[in-house]
Amino acid sequence: MMNLKLKRREFLQLMGWSTAGATLAGCDLPTTVTLEEGKEEVVAYLSPEEYVIPGVGVWYASTCLQCAAGCGIHGRVREGRALKLEGNPDSPVNRGKLCQMGQSGVQTHYNPDRLSKPQLRKDGKLVDISWDEAWKVLDEKVGAAAKTSGARVAWFTGTVSGHQAALIGEHLDALGSRHHFVHEVINNAVGRAVNQDVLGEAMPRLALDQAKLVLSFGADFLGTWVSPTHFATEYAKFRSGTRGVLVVAEPKMSLTGANADLWLAVRPGTEGMLALGIAHALMQSGVSVPDAARPAVAAYAPVKAAEITGISAQRIEQVAALLKQHSPSLVLAGATVEGQEQGYQAASAVMLLNVMLGNVGQTIVSSGEFPFPQLRPRTGNTRDLVAFAAAAKDKALDVAFFYGTNPVYTAPASLGLAEGLQNIPFKVVLTQFPDETAAQADLVLPVASSLEDWGTHVAAYQPEQGVITFQQPLMEGLYPGTPGVGDALLKLLKMREAQKYGAFNDYFSYLQNAVASLPEQYKASGLTNKQLWEQTLQKGLLTVDSAPGSLKTNVGEITLHEVKADAEYPLHLIPSPRLGLWDGRHANIPWLQEAPDQISKVVWDSWAELHPSTAARLGVREGDVVEITSAHGAIKVKVYVFKGVHPDAIAVPLGQGHEGYGRYANGIGANPLKILSPAIEARTGELALYGTRVKATRTGVHEELVKEGRNNISQRSRKLVVTISAEQFRRTEGV
Amino acid sequence: MRWIQLDRAKREPARQGCGALLVALALVWAMPASADTAAPASIKYPVAPEGAHAGKDVAQPIEFPHDIHTAVNKINCLYCHTYARRSKVAGIPPTSKCMGCHSVIATDKPRIKQLTEYWEKKQPVPWKKVHDVPDFVHFTHEKHLKKFIFDNDELVQNLSVDTVAPVCAACHGDLRTMTVAKKIKPMTMGWCVSCHEKNGGPGDCWACHK
Repeated sequence: MMNLKLKRREFLQLMGWSTAGATLAGCDLPTTVTLEEGKEEVVAYLSPEEYVIPGVGVWYASTCLQCAAGCGIHGRVREGRALKLEGNPDSPVNRGKLCQMGQSGVQTHYNPDRLSKPQLRKDGKLVDISWDEAWKVLDEKVGAAAKTSGARVAWFTGTVSGHQAALIGEHLDALGSRHHFVHEVINNAVGRAVNQDVLGEAMPRLALDQAKLVLSFGADFLGTWVSPTHFATEYAKFRSGTRGVLVVAEPKMSLTGANADLWLAVRPGTEGMLALGIAHALMQSGVSVPDAARPAVAAYAPVKAAEITGISAQRIEQVAALLKQHSPSLVLAGATVEGQEQGYQAASAVMLLNVMLGNVGQTIVSSGEFPFPQLRPRTGNTRDLVAFAAAAKDKALDVAFFYGTNPVYTAPASLGLAEGLQNIPFKVVLTQFPDETAAQADLVLPVASSLEDWGTHVAAYQPEQGVITFQQPLMEGLYPGTPGVGDALLKLLKMREAQKYGAFNDYFSYLQNAVASLPEQYKASGLTNKQLWEQTLQKGLLTVDSAPGSLKTNVGEITLHEVKADAEYPLHLIPSPRLGLWDGRHANIPWLQEAPDQISKVVWDSWAELHPSTAARLGVREGDVVEITSAHGAIKVKVYVFKGVHPDAIAVPLGQGHEGYGRYANGIGANPLKILSPAIEARTGELALYGTRVKATRTGVHEELVKEGRNNISQRSRKLVVTISAEQFRRTEGV
Repeated sequence: MRWIQLDRAKREPARQGCGALLVALALVWAMPASADTAAPASIKYPVAPEGAHAGKDVAQPIEFPHDIHTAVNKINCLYCHTYARRSKVAGIPPTSKCMGCHSVIATDKPRIKQLTEYWEKKQPVPWKKVHDVPDFVHFTHEKHLKKFIFDNDELVQNLSVDTVAPVCAACHGDLRTMTVAKKIKPMTMGWCVSCHEKNGGPGDCWACHK
């Protein structure tokens, strides 16, 4: 491209002087945006809409679908285009704030890789077909299945809620099937099970702002845990006024860990023992222990816990003293605790601390019963992924619908999902993008983006009163004919139960009807149905009555086994989630690829975090490529040497290593999920995501690790510094 | 599809529609044909920054005669570029506004026939952009018009195309002497800043780069 004998560094330094930049022009890609007269068109309205003023934006309320937290958004629309998203101040989840993934919703919406036409597999290849043909094929295939084996039809989705979830349920009911598999890699399924058993509620309310001390065992509540934007605002309250104390124990420093007053690098898989060690120290200082847990607590004196966890007995006693001193406190367990074969037991040990310290009822309170059970969220987990892979392998399914999840990418290779899918004769994928799962499909149905669609959503974590959040289109669909998810579901239902659903022209009228048929108490002060509907859309949400109950404290027996060393695979693999690429679903968003990782500052890549002592033992430094091998596969990534990771651990972030997810995602980095062992958490059947042992070997290859804030001058084959011709410069800049 | 507007959105009453035709006719006929083209000397105008730009002639799909509309027929700039007082952009008038007059006026002229053809085919006219600033510059017509036109009492009392045009001319040149627009001012940052200095505009970076 460039024929000048300049080093890139010199080239960029020259770029700093704009006139010099202009003289170098002609060696860059054609400029698509220009100030030059007569190059761009400015097209006026034929007849403007009444309220449209060009250049003046109008804001509409909707719901963010970039993760399952259910934040409310306001979208700015100008001249019919959605341009900017912000948080909805009325939403109790995010109170006007919005994280980087939410902000990037516009890049999901305008992504050039979005599918615009349905695709059908013909002679082994996916080819574009018309919408008429797509619906006809669907009717035939599902109709045939309904006649003979409706029970062998399955839906495999990400977390869904609201009326979309209700319609998926209705579709399966119409077919006589019970197979709704719900999958999320980033979940708190084990924690929910513990909450349910101990407290009697799967997801109670956490009053972070009321706590004087928060002790987090790997719960990255500022980054990836449950409802990060909500907890970030609560965290700000927790830290203001009388500054709350934050203690974090985890094998790899998370964003939350980086904010801690005391950060403890606990040996991977031993968090439960650390919690019991702290409980023991508390017991010694006079705090009572529930009877059922007494043997477990008695077995882990701080000295013994120190031996196992690598955290000194003094530290353990110090944390116990801090907990006693700062009451009420809040103790949280996150994915590193739960994603072990004894994750349930370990998370129970963490919950035991809350019970002992009297936090239940103070910082952990009942969230009450959500009054519309059919709209409740179906929360994702990995147990359903395992079950689905097994069902596929056993040839138990004839038709499978996929929506809102990409299991071919997220499933560990050891589950054999990709091979199992061959056994499902008809696979339908509803998606906005071509992805690894769509590549295996028999029929691909493009769906509207979340900024073009209708919907209702119920967040799994409800911070205040329960709310149903509403999603409305911010603009017309970019690809005519592409249905919304709800519209696609209605269409499927009409094929089965024409009588029941024939009255609804579209999902819009279905939702209007749903709001109109709300119980009388929601129509206070003489609102007509139309007024209620408009008021709800304007606000973006509907508050429901969820009477708070009271929490129990049923602590059961806790049994933890020793974590054995593995001579062949000495390191614990930590597939760490990031606020950004998330579980890989956002790898096709350039903004999020470009946004540096909060800890390592790496962009557009994968990396392996190694403790300096481990790196020295392996003889590697930053940028050296290592091969990480488990019993189930191997990946190659560059090393990032970092003290915030336990010497026995190697952390590789989630999200990269895509093979079929569009131009921005493909061919970057590696996917650590692929080499996970199929080990299962004993009580809940969840995948033990953090339970895989690996070894790392140097490959002898060294590459630069691209990080923000370094003297890095690579343009990465893109136009980071834009150039224009000298002629054009003179014309537009008037020199 | 029906969208519900948030209450925080601005909602300006529509000031166009079937009344536009009458207003336009009134404007055309009410103006004395021999009006003085000079503004009253007592009106204060911005001190225009120095500097010129040798803009190129931009061929438009229809050679729109600014001169006939303004110098001859005395139609106020803001009658067509009605968004300028409410928005960051001045806006190209919608075709419906053109047709408000030209469904009855000068319908036999070739350029009007061209316009009518677009209108009947329901196609907007693909005008070429002449004036632009980069995306990282937040220029707003609204604020500049407020300061130099609507907060200028003497000008407001003598509001006409000939009192308004000198304000527009500071950046766009005197359109009363042009057919289609041509860029004759540099519109560079230095040029903007020199005007801000001379006329007491904000000097902080945030005013334009936000």
